[in-house]
Amino acid sequence: MAIHKIILASFIVYLMIQFSHGATKERLFSDLEKDALDVTAKPSRQGVLDAGIDKLSITWKLRSTAKKQANFTTIKVKLCYAPVSQVDRPWRKTENELFKDKTCPHKIITRAYNKSSQSFKYTLDRDIPTGTYFVRTYAVDAKDHEVAFGQSTSEAKPTKLFSVQAISGRHKSLDIASVCFSVFSVLALLVFFVNEKRKAKLEQSK
Amino acid sequence: MAHHNEDEGSIGTSMHGVTAREQVFSFSVQGEDDGPSSHTVGFDDPTAKFALPVDSEHRATAFKPFSFAKPHMRAFHLGWISFFTCFISTFAAAPLVPIIRDNLDLTKSDIGNAGVASVSGAIFSRLAMGAVCDLLGARYGTAFLLMLSAPTVFSMSFVSDAGGYLSVRFMIGFCLATFVSCQYWTSVMFNGKIIGLVNGCAGGWGDMGGGVTQLLMPMVFHVIKLAGATPFTAWRIAFFIPGFLQVIMGILVLTLGQDLPDGNLSTLQKRGEVSKDKFTKVFWYAVLNYRTYVLFLLYGFSMGIEMTINNVISEYFFDRFQLELHTAGMIAASFGMANFFARPLGGYASDISARFFGMRGRLWTLWILQTSGGIFCVWLGRATSLPIAILSMMLFSVGVQAACGAIFGIVPFVSRRSLGLISGLTGAGGNFGSGLTQLIFFSSSKFHAADGLSLMGIMGMIFTLLVAFIHFPQWGSMFFGPTSDEKKSKEEHYYAAEWTEEEKRQGLHEGSLKFAENSRSERGRKAASDGSSPSTPPENGNPAHV
Repeated sequence: MAIHKIILASFIVYLMIQFSHGATKERLFSDLEKDALDVTAKPSRQGVLDAGIDKLSITWKLRSTAKKQANFTTIKVKLCYAPVSQVDRPWRKTENELFKDKTCPHKIITRAYNKSSQSFKYTLDRDIPTGTYFVRTYAVDAKDHEVAFGQSTSEAKPTKLFSVQAISGRHKSLDIASVCFSVFSVLALLVFFVNEKRKAKLEQSK
Repeated sequence: MAHHNEDEGSIGTSMHGVTAREQVFSFSVQGEDDGPSSHTVGFDDPTAKFALPVDSEHRATAFKPFSFAKPHMRAFHLGWISFFTCFISTFAAAPLVPIIRDNLDLTKSDIGNAGVASVSGAIFSRLAMGAVCDLLGARYGTAFLLMLSAPTVFSMSFVSDAGGYLSVRFMIGFCLATFVSCQYWTSVMFNGKIIGLVNGCAGGWGDMGGGVTQLLMPMVFHVIKLAGATPFTAWRIAFFIPGFLQVIMGILVLTLGQDLPDGNLSTLQKRGEVSKDKFTKVFWYAVLNYRTYVLFLLYGFSMGIEMTINNVISEYFFDRFQLELHTAGMIAASFGMANFFARPLGGYASDISARFFGMRGRLWTLWILQTSGGIFCVWLGRATSLPIAILSMMLFSVGVQAACGAIFGIVPFVSRRSLGLISGLTGAGGNFGSGLTQLIFFSSSKFHAADGLSLMGIMGMIFTLLVAFIHFPQWGSMFFGPTSDEKKSKEEHYYAAEWTEEEKRQGLHEGSLKFAENSRSERGRKAASDGSSPSTPPENGNPAHV
């Protein structure tokens, strides 16, 4: 019984820690400085881009109107879902609390902060899903907390978005293997079945 | 049966192996008419050739889970592992949904509908399975399911959109009927006194597959990714593992298994040793009994909820608590794995309560277990921190899985003649409940998944109130005692009512009468004080956990 009491007590203590921990997690997106950086994302070609093949030319530069640049240590560049790709997909939802926000799950690059204009040529990863996207850069301080951001689209009316078509993930070799094993399965069953029926008939005729 | 000796093989009386001249039997057991090889030393006692003690029908009267002796224990292990494998295949997609939804560009509705489809196929296949096993025997029933649904598992490599995903999950789901073939097989291999425990273990350990898959698939996926595949290809390759398992199990069942204690069905049927009841009659008496429908709905909110959770819980933990895929899988797995002890525990609790309070005790036990499952489900939905969510999920899993075991403490008493069909119908109710709850709570963006869980728990508790409507004239119900009518309060009256006068004249109802006499223990303590009835547990104490 003593062990039960210990387990229960430690559990309660852990819960207390969790509850208090939760109170400090509320860093909000709305607290970040808006449009601190000028971001452009230029697709390598027109039309729908192919994941794994096409590239984006991303550039970012500090805007003269930015206020908090003294705190910037690192710049994190991320690929984000446009609202149209978030419909009926609650796992991509935009939330104000930063730790809950799922708008920008795909990391592009992380670089130390530099006052001058930066650029990066990003080849779309092969695990990028089909959808419509824009690019956002977060300016992060030494404590790894976001302080400001900039994005390649405007907030009110989303413009300059680009579409990506994911890879299918299918391969001919996989398809062939699948057919082979399926045929084997059905054939093996039939062979056993016919064999046993034949054996039973032979036995009956004895 | 050809031999009618009444030797109850108790432990220690089997002479198998004593003289070292006993024949080793291969798969088809030859009868006494065949060649000199079957005239073994111990032939006067036909039960001598079995490794376990058996009764007059050669059903085992002992349960030795660590043994693989043929035919009984081997049938048990082949049966529950086949069922376990099918559970793995049916729910294999669930822990990989975060990857699949990105590959196929699925919406929440697509995912929800595919989840509904994955459990719907088995509603029909479970209903048909009893008849299939009667026709082909348990081995081929199981092997057909395993080996004909393996191609559907492999065909995940072809899927490229929501429609394809839904169709493949629907087709894979048919193999959940192995549940029926598994319990059919154990029911012919094990004596009624222990069938409750045997089927509780087979059912519970098979259901564990729904938990194991949540661990297995992310692990396989991870290993394949490490080997160099991209995520959108790796998940397709991962599906080959459940496919292989099914084919291997199918072959093992056919080579190592045996339909009946005395041999395989085709051999015995030709000798005229197996007889059957008329399907139309069995169907009619199942349909006329209102308790069938109540059990159908009740199981829908115990097993049904369990299957729904198998489909949604991994994604829920992944999204709500920002976990890694394999961490979410591990937590989801512990839900399904609780089945290892939770389901047999429910059956055991039902048996204990019956010892004191009879059938009324069983009904109350069921109500308590299933309602507490519902309460903890509501709590799970409300939990905002990970440790509370895990705690409530574990309590929820024990409640709901024990309720599954408890329902099958009651099913065998609802009908003697139509037991097989009612067990199958109850099982189908589980799939129906799962499809329904997924459709209402997890297929649209109307509810957050968390609210869906809580509402599902509330709906479960409401439907569990139906237990109060199960009334047996001879034993009573939750709130009412047995009827005071002299004739109707006899067990014989209830079970003999399933046979027409003509059939009674032919003596076809003898088995039901025997069962009725043995079932007097369902009166609880009163049966013991009642002098006229045996105080030992009934012959078919707690059969057919489906």
